[in-house]
Amino acid sequence: MRNPLERNWVILGIAILMAFLISLPFFATDYWITLVILIFVFTVYSAGWNLFSGLTGYTNFGLAWFIGVSGYVSTLLIADYGFLWLFAWPIGAIFTSMISIGVGYILLRIKGVYFAIAMVALTEGTRELFGTEYLTPITHGGKGVPFVAGIRLPTLYWSILLLAFITVLICYKVTSSKLGLRLMAIREDEQAAETLGIHTTRDKIIAFVLSAFFVGLAGAIHFTYQNYIDPTFAFNINLTLTPIVMTLFGGVGTVFGPVIGATLFTFIHEILWAELTLLYMAIFGGILMALILFFPQGLLGWMKERGILPRIRKI
Amino acid sequence: MLNFLEILIRGLMLGSVYALVGMGLTLVWGVVGIVNIAHGEFVMLGAYFAFWAFSLLHVNPLFSVALSIPVFFFAGVVVHRRITERLVKEHELSALILTFGMSILIWNLAQFLWTNTYRSVPYLTGNFPFMGLVFGKSKTISFGLAILITTAIFLFLRYSRWGKAIRATSQNSEVALVCGINTIKMRMLTFGMGIGLAGAAGAIISLQWVIFPQMGGSYISKAFAIVVLGGLGNIQGALAGGLIIGALESLVTQYLTAKMAQIIPSVTILVILLLRPTGLFRK
Amino acid sequence: MPKGPILRIEDVVKKFGEVVALDHCSFAIEPGTITGLIGPNGAGKTTLFNLITGVLQPDQGHIYLKGEEITGKRPYEIARKGVGRTYQIVRIFPKMTLFENLIVVGKETGEKVTERAMELLDLVKLSDKKDNYASDLSFGQQKLLSLAQVLMLDAQLILLDEPAAGINPTLQNDLMTLIHQLNRAGKTFIIVEHDMNVIMGHCQNAIALNYGQKIAEGSCDAIQKDESLLEHYFGR
Repeated sequence: MRNPLERNWVILGIAILMAFLISLPFFATDYWITLVILIFVFTVYSAGWNLFSGLTGYTNFGLAWFIGVSGYVSTLLIADYGFLWLFAWPIGAIFTSMISIGVGYILLRIKGVYFAIAMVALTEGTRELFGTEYLTPITHGGKGVPFVAGIRLPTLYWSILLLAFITVLICYKVTSSKLGLRLMAIREDEQAAETLGIHTTRDKIIAFVLSAFFVGLAGAIHFTYQNYIDPTFAFNINLTLTPIVMTLFGGVGTVFGPVIGATLFTFIHEILWAELTLLYMAIFGGILMALILFFPQGLLGWMKERGILPRIRKI
Repeated sequence: MLNFLEILIRGLMLGSVYALVGMGLTLVWGVVGIVNIAHGEFVMLGAYFAFWAFSLLHVNPLFSVALSIPVFFFAGVVVHRRITERLVKEHELSALILTFGMSILIWNLAQFLWTNTYRSVPYLTGNFPFMGLVFGKSKTISFGLAILITTAIFLFLRYSRWGKAIRATSQNSEVALVCGINTIKMRMLTFGMGIGLAGAAGAIISLQWVIFPQMGGSYISKAFAIVVLGGLGNIQGALAGGLIIGALESLVTQYLTAKMAQIIPSVTILVILLLRPTGLFRK
Repeated sequence: MPKGPILRIEDVVKKFGEVVALDHCSFAIEPGTITGLIGPNGAGKTTLFNLITGVLQPDQGHIYLKGEEITGKRPYEIARKGVGRTYQIVRIFPKMTLFENLIVVGKETGEKVTERAMELLDLVKLSDKKDNYASDLSFGQQKLLSLAQVLMLDAQLILLDEPAAGINPTLQNDLMTLIHQLNRAGKTFIIVEHDMNVIMGHCQNAIALNYGQKIAEGSCDAIQKDESLLEHYFGR
């Protein structure tokens, strides 16, 4: 920001917003608290998706895989092994990240649409696998795992608020860093990037694992909030699709696009769901189509084009 | 041994229908360049088409199968002209999201209009005994219809002028353009054919299985596995792929469990993409 | 500079299915030279570049860079060892700025990289456009940017694939002047070109390929006088 005065106003604005959000549990009703919790969960999902896919151009259609694996590890630790949520959540996220290194190393050789398909196949396959007779003893299969984590709503709220804040901060840092530029170079022309000395495999995996970690952590929190998990819920294609749409809505590859997209979309979801339950999903499908056909650059992209927002990377 | 043969043949019959769905998808994906996630929904619509024709108008379902081809071909042409043609040159994410949206729109609309009640077309019942094995009439006739349609498609692509143009477009669309082939028209035609195949497959499916709005989902995942297995744009490969998937499903269901059979499409996709991404069969 | 050739290609074979793109090709390039790589379309020139930079692996044979074997190494490793390459159809990063196109190269970070990028932008006379998107540049300017990217790598061996194609004579001139400037500073060039004037006018040596085989190698003077080569290249 050129103008120091402008910068101070922005910082003040952010400070006020943060103060508001932090103090929310003290004055809002449970309905509003849970709504904002969902907004934050999807903000992390969207920002996490964008961190990898928005920058590298590799469409990750398997976000639900991160969510499901971490969700299951975390939930089973809490429900079956008596772990405290404070430990179960990070263990779930770290476990998912570790496996993602291997998954990324293997699957990131596949390019384009095929990568997207492979990630879907991974997600669907894992979902079915968790429901088979062989794994049901551990995963409880289709019966699901109803559980209570011993955490109060405000604490859960503050946890996800913190995670959302950190995730967006990391996204901002990465996008402004040389790693971010290298990821963009991979998106622009992966082979040219490689012949210019960029270790594309390593950079892709770093972004992939970062994405897995944050999305996984949010997933663990999400299922704790829901007090229930089963394969269909955990590996649901909607968990992949919704963050992608939110990011598209806000603007792919931008830092705040996912945040705005998640916020607006959750509100729209609430309104539509309340008014038009039956046709809600059909309308959602129609909105998706309209988004691609008429508004592909998203809200932030549109605003940048019109000059309403500066065309800098950082937002 | 006899038991194994019966299971295998049943799997192949199952696979012939999967092959129809897969062929439609591979045609569209390979020639038009669009991954149509809503392909399964057109299969579902084909099934409902046969159902409503049968229950409201008492149309012979076998006739509906034949009728579905031109009807869905036309629908496909319209959908492509109005919606998907624009995405041909775009990043793949656009087509994925758009067709995903279309898929959600279609099956939810179907659910809203026709409810989740299971429907069926009880037209062919009973069995054909054959050399000591027993096969359901509906499955056998379906198999026959599937083979018929597949043969027709092969002949069309091989010998007709349009068929050759489609194959040319699939191999190299720029060269095809230079040769005077109207690639936009070809894509429209191909998309129409793809959807026509989906609709016909759906009508055939209505003869054997229950019909409900979300049924497209299981067919699309198998269709993807078939496309990957057979090689993109490879129609013969899709036929082989369909038969393989059907046979595998039947065998795994029998010798392991039905739930394990559900994993087959996903595993197939991952294994092929990693080991032999161009598919098992060369063009 | 250590003695010995900077690049050595030894009995390299590359096939694509039935098609033999490179057929037991061998040659050596001395450091500090400008060598032209000529031959009709499909002779294997771009394939050779792809093999040297690690984009493709040879089916047989070895490639040595400054005496060290680089056969089978990944492209980024080879690039970091000092091999830079431009493409026939220019490949820069269109939706990134010129400045970003340069600082993204290689693995170092920090002040030095920024300084270097600014110097190189000056060298190719594109400093005033440093914050423009690369897609805004003209074709010729993009070629210069591409060369600047290679220089960010501090490449000692630079492979140029048709650098003069499609740009106006003035720009061509600037480009060749730059190449000579860099050559005098010690950089080795291999240039693929169809324009024989460029080859004869600027290269010391030349290697001719046809159907994947090396059909001639030597100084440009010698090649110019080689009748059978001229017949091969211009005749059929």
